[in-house]
This record gives sequence, C-alpha cells and structure tokens, in this order.
Amino acid sequence: MKNKGMYLLLLPGVLFLTLFLVIPIVMTIASTFYQEGSFTVQGYFTFLTDPYNLKILWTTLRVSLVTTIACILLGFPAAYYISKLGARKKGILLALAIFPLLTSSVVRSFSWMIILGKKGLLNSSLLSIGLIEKPLEILYTPTAMMIGLIHLFLPLIIITLVGVMENIDPDLLKAAESLGASRFTAFRQVILPLSMPGLIIGSILVFVGSLTAYTTPALLGGKQGVISTFLYQNAITLNDWHMASVIATIMIVITFVVIGLMNKIATKLNPKG
Amino acid sequence: MALLTLENVSVAYDNQYILKDFNLNIEKGQLISLLGPSGCGKTTTLRLIAGFLEAKDGRFLFDGKDYTRVPVNKRNFGFVFQSYALFPHMSVFDNVAFGLRLRKVSETEVKQRVEQILDVVSLGGFEKRFPKELSGGQRQRVAIARALVIQPDLLLFDEPLSNLDANLRVNMRVEIRRIQQELGITTVYVSHDQEECFSISDRVAIMNKGVIEQLDDPATIFKYPKTEFIARFIGFNNFITFGERTEQDGEIELRVGGHRFAATHNPGTANAQAKKCAMRPDDLIVTTEAQADLETNRLPGTVKISTFLGRSYQYVVETDLGDFTVNQEMETPYKSGQTVHLLFPKDKMVLVD
Amino acid sequence: MQEKNRGLALFTLLVFVFLLGPLVIISFTSFEPGTVLKFPPEGFSWRWYENIFEVKMFMTTFGTSMFVSLVGNLLALLLGVPAAYALSRFQFKGKGLLNAVFISPVLIPGIVMGFAMLKYVIITYNLPIYAGLLIGHTVIMLPFIIRVVASSLSNFDFAIEEAALSLGAGKVETFFKVVLPNIRSGIIAAILIAFLESFNNVDISVFMTGPGVSTLPIQMLTYVENNFDPTIAALSVLLMIITAILMFIIERMMGLSYFTKR
Repeated sequence: MKNKGMYLLLLPGVLFLTLFLVIPIVMTIASTFYQEGSFTVQGYFTFLTDPYNLKILWTTLRVSLVTTIACILLGFPAAYYISKLGARKKGILLALAIFPLLTSSVVRSFSWMIILGKKGLLNSSLLSIGLIEKPLEILYTPTAMMIGLIHLFLPLIIITLVGVMENIDPDLLKAAESLGASRFTAFRQVILPLSMPGLIIGSILVFVGSLTAYTTPALLGGKQGVISTFLYQNAITLNDWHMASVIATIMIVITFVVIGLMNKIATKLNPKG
Repeated sequence: MALLTLENVSVAYDNQYILKDFNLNIEKGQLISLLGPSGCGKTTTLRLIAGFLEAKDGRFLFDGKDYTRVPVNKRNFGFVFQSYALFPHMSVFDNVAFGLRLRKVSETEVKQRVEQILDVVSLGGFEKRFPKELSGGQRQRVAIARALVIQPDLLLFDEPLSNLDANLRVNMRVEIRRIQQELGITTVYVSHDQEECFSISDRVAIMNKGVIEQLDDPATIFKYPKTEFIARFIGFNNFITFGERTEQDGEIELRVGGHRFAATHNPGTANAQAKKCAMRPDDLIVTTEAQADLETNRLPGTVKISTFLGRSYQYVVETDLGDFTVNQEMETPYKSGQTVHLLFPKDKMVLVD
Repeated sequence: MQEKNRGLALFTLLVFVFLLGPLVIISFTSFEPGTVLKFPPEGFSWRWYENIFEVKMFMTTFGTSMFVSLVGNLLALLLGVPAAYALSRFQFKGKGLLNAVFISPVLIPGIVMGFAMLKYVIITYNLPIYAGLLIGHTVIMLPFIIRVVASSLSNFDFAIEEAALSLGAGKVETFFKVVLPNIRSGIIAAILIAFLESFNNVDISVFMTGPGVSTLPIQMLTYVENNFDPTIAALSVLLMIITAILMFIIERMMGLSYFTKR
C-alpha cells in the first residue's frame, strides 16, 4: 500500500482540472456577488425581476419538462420491448439507438430544420394531402425545440432503461405469474418499481440536458430564447459579462439542485433493491 | 547461522498491528510452513519477506545482509501466488522467460533454461500455449516454473493449492516437495491446510493472531502440541483443565474435582505450570469393566451419542468433568445411556497452555 | 399475449423511425442537385459533396477540429490514464471527492464551462484562443478517458503486477509490460469515445472561437444560419459515416455494453 507514488499519479489530472475548471467556475460564481467592488446580490435581483428574463426561464423549464415526459412515454415501452429480445436483435437495436447519440447535435438538429421548415418535408406532405391550407410555422418555435430535444435525448433514455431492465431477474416475472398475476399486473408490480431508480436517473439526465442544451435551441428555437442561448447572447453579443455570470451561476445551481435531488431519490429507492 | 531472520518485526495497517515484535529464523535448504487460520498473520509475514509490505519496526536479515529496505524487484525471491498471477497476454514460454529476460540472459540460454524447467514441472511441450487455455493445475505449474527458473535465493508460496480440487492438491504438494528437495532451495510455504503443511515441511510454524505459537517439525507438533489452540487445530478435541499440579517420581500429578490423574512429561512443554491436558479421540479407551488396579486416569460416565464411522465407533461420553469424544474399533457398539468407564493413558495426556 | 407484443413491436418500430428517419432524410437531401433543400430530392448529384472541399472554412476548421481533438486526446490520456490507475488500484480517503472532481466536466453544463474558461483562463492569462480550445477539449475528454480506463481496470488482477515485481521488473516497466497490454482495447475504446465527444462538441467550442479559429461543428452552425443549401447535408453524411466506422471499432474493442451501464 505504498501511497507516495499514488498521489503523484493523481496530481497532474487534479491540478489540471482545478486550474482550468474548478477555479474558473468558482470565480464565475463569486464574481456575481461583486459589483463595483462591493458585495451585492443586485445582479440576481435585476435578473429575477425582469419579466423578459423570467419568460426565458419559464420557456426553458417548460420545454425541458415536456421533453422529459415525452422521452419517458416514448422510451420506456421501447426499452421494455428491446430488453426482452434475444441477444442478436437486441444488439442491433441498441446499436441503432446509440448511433444518433454519437452523431453531432448539429447534424441532428439540422435534419429537423429540413423537416419542420416552412418549405420543409412536414409541411409539403401535409399540404399535398390537403390536411392543412397554409404551411405550419413550427420551425423557430419552442415546439420545434421540443421535437429536436426529444430526438436528441430519446436514445439516452432508451439505453439507460434497457441497461436497468436487463438487470431485473427474469425469474421475478415468472414468480409473479406463477402466483397468479396477469402479464399486466406483473409488469405493473414488478418491472415498473424495479425500473424506477433507473427511470429517475435517466429522466434527470434528460431534464438537466434539456435545460442546458445549446445547439438544438440555437438552430431550432429562433428568437425564442432559452437560458443557454441567452447566456451566449449576453456574453458575446451584448458583452454584459456580469449578467452572463449571473445566468451561468443560476444554471449551475439548477443543475446541482436537480442532481442532488436525483441522488437523494436514488438512495432512497436503493434498499428496495 | 540462519539464512533468513525476521528480528522484532512489526507490521501495522491503519494503526492495527498484525505482527508485533515478531521473530523468525529459517535455515538454508529447509521447507518451512506458516500454518494457521485466516487472519493469523501468515500471509502478512510471507508478503513482508517478499517485500510487498514494509515493516513498521524491526529488521529483515538475509544471508547476513540487511534486506529491510531492499525493494521487491531487487530481492531475487521467487513468489508463487494463490491466483497464479500468470501474464494473460503472454504465452507459457514468455511467462516463464520474463524474469530471465529482465536479467539480460541471452536468448539461447533463455530457451534452454525455460525448456528445462518446464520439463521439471512436467509441462514440456506447453511453451506456445496461453494461460487461458490451461487447467488450474497446469497454470499452477507454470507459476512455479516461472518462479524457479530465475534461480531464486528463496522460494515463497502463498496458499498455492487452495484453488485446486482435492485430488490435484495431494499430487501437486508432493511435486512441490520433490522439486524443493531436488534443488535444495529454501522455501517458505503458507497454507491454512494442516495436512498439506505437515506432509511436506521440514518445520512448521503455527501462527495465531500474529504470534508463532509453536515452531517444530511436524511429528513433534502432531504428538505434542504446545497450546490448546494448536491442539484443537490438529484434531485434539478432549480437554481437562486441572486445579492442582505436583511433580512426583518423575511424573506429573494432576487433580480436579476429586479425581487424580498422572501424566508423563511432554518433551519441550512450554509452560512448566500448565494445568490443561489434551487428548485425541483415538487415544482414549472406553470399557465397561471397572479396572480395579487403576485408581488414576479413570472416569465413569454415560454414553450420550453413538456414531458409526466405518472403521470404528465414535462415542460422546458424559462425565462429571464434561463430555468426551472417543473413537474405538469394536464389534458390538455401546448403546446410548449405557454406563461406561473412560481410561486416559498417562503417556497420551498432552500438557498444553 | 401475442397482441400485446405486436402492439409493442409496432410502437418500438415507430420510435426508431422517429429516431433514424431524420438522419435518413438528411442523407437523401444531400444528393439534391438544386440549391434548395428539399425532400425527396429532385435528382442525384455529388455537387454538394464537392462543394464541401471548396468551402475553405470547412477545410480549415476540419483541420482545427482534428488537431484539437487528437492533441487534446493525448493530453487527456497523459493526465487520465495514471489517474484511472490510481483510482482503481488504491484505497484512500477522499477517493469519493476525487471521483466527483474527475467526473464534474460531465455534470457542469458545457455552455457554463465554456464561458467560465473564456473569462477566467483565456482572458485572465491572456492566452491565444487556440490554447483555450485545446484546454477546453482536454477538460471534456478527461472524464471519458478516466471512466473507460477505470472500467477496464476494474476486472484486472493486480497480483500480476506483484508477480512482475517479484521477478525483478521496475514499477514503470511493470506498467508498460504487464498492465498496459492487458487494457489495450479499453484504452483504444476510451480514445475513440473521447474523440467523438470532443469532435462533435459545440457548447465549449462556441466560446472558444476567434478570428480564423473555429471548429467544424461551430462552422457548420454559422453556415446554416446564413446558407440553407445541401452542403451541410453532405457534410453531415460524411460525419455520420465516420461516426459509424468509429462506433464499429469501439464495439470490437469493448462491446457496446459501455453505453448501457450507468
């Protein structure tokens, strides 16, 4: 158990992250409390009392919530189906689910631009069928963002859930059925509760991811801002570093609160096994 | 002079002492086993000798030199691991050649020595195989070959056979002893299996809670264990704790509860005041006739349980000094509830601490 | 029973159509000969693929992306492999805290990291923007390297290290001769996964751009905001092909179980 060499192995990595990540983040947060040399929370006050800002926060939350729920509704059944397949089919479907994850978010969001635009695929098809009379304006709205984000995070939920469901002992279902439970009841009372921790973790990852996503809202959201694009705007376009830092800090706080919640819920659900 | 000496060595982990003021001497050419239950410190001692652990206090002397601070890779001791620890990405040949190549031995000599040692462990022809293709016994032999080929000054075994099945274990331990004696290499062997250690060692150190309770040749320990712990470990399961002890006419007289027992001296008893006696089930005699001319070493009792063991019957006999277990060959067994007499031959009573 | 399964199967099929459909569509539109993106395309042409190579900014930023993702990867390896080794091999106080620090780049919003780095690294130390890019990408690749390598080491029998030492090998020698060869596939997978994360990254890169310095994804973003022609579609297809190839290699090295374990 020679420990001296061990610290040497860890030092470069820790130093690097401290210097280039931890300290900048800490400084960013700290800077929000200082304006013109004195300690103040004025920045937050200004931010949180501006209705424009609140609208952005609300849009962000709204979009993230809908995205998360949609991902659960779409992903859970799909994951369940996949988890019950034989190894080969499962492998292929998983690979197909993972592939979009590894593709650039620019590519994925862009593909939706083609579909949702005024002259896009969706509109031209609906128009030609005669379902609508004039093109729907979906692109550059929160709806387009939601679709894009769902598309972005659905693979994540599916993969997480398949992983969780694979770990559920298949004998449990058989035990339930042998005791008289119908397929549906067995699902509800065995699969559902046991997938819950994984489901919660997956949802939180999707929720936090949607809250802080940049590319998809930037391409599909147009002028309807969310916090991440708002952060960029303030920093680069408006050059208001203080406001940008405030936004950044709020994003960090929300992220960590949500993750902290996840940890709490996950540990509470763990004893159930 | 001993080849290897551990002098007042202490090893601690997180302020818990595993070995404290520990001493051990090992003579050249001997195979000495460290035997004991888990947690007794035998593996710690072995790893200390190997250099995987550092002692908090004390010295480790080898061949007259102070090896205490010498790093593992400079000690030239061969170590055979319980899990074999073969390099999975190398063939049998490369595994065995590893140590030689580090010593910058020429490739022709490497080839010759590796092939020779593989013959010694009966693995000739296995050079190109990989560890995952081998059985447990074969892997163990590769591990031994790898440790031997470097012509180590000391050979160390850490429970090498515990992952093998019973038959293989018996064959392998004979092999290990044969090789050790052929090469005359000083060996320290750690195991929790008493039969294994006793069958192959020149001397055995029985360890308990970081202390060597007895260091003797196997035959001596087998007949005359020094402590109750050792006695129990090797199969003595009858104990009497006496109240008084006196010496009379070259024999020891012991009394308790109105009974009088005589015992002959054990060679090398640790404690001259020991008042506890241990006996094996096979050494006690159970009979129905009261032997009138034996006033000592006799207890009346009732048979509690009678079990058929194959060659003999085993009885648990209840007496006013407690229950005793005795094995005896007989045609017609005693029955439960029967009154019997237990005889304790005075040369079979072993005094223990 | 069969009904339920068929319904579920259909549902899953639709989900996958949703997931992969857009990518298929974008592939088809890339062959559109006209200048307007439409689906289905009205013909077949390699025109936009050729155009990729003519837009100078794409070539330059591709080079930048490659350089940053490869050099950053190397840096992340140099920092991360020893750290992963130490985390797997030893037990010590504060291990939980260190684990948290090493995984933090994954938890902190990328946009926030990029901003903080711009403000307190580039500007404070007056570094060229290129350096910022390199540092930023190394930071995001580090957790992936550590996690994948630590995962490889979790099944490693460290007794073979002791075996090598007992046979006379030095500590560093042991690492290169005995540990590394056995986690080779894990390291390759780590490199590829980290590479993909870095190459595709937008959140950090978006702050680390300057005159003449940009990464490919950022350049694509800018292009899309000003031009809506099939070039991006063509470029997307090329990137997807590269992704598929890398994914295939990752699967060979480690299997895709890496992604399902959480």
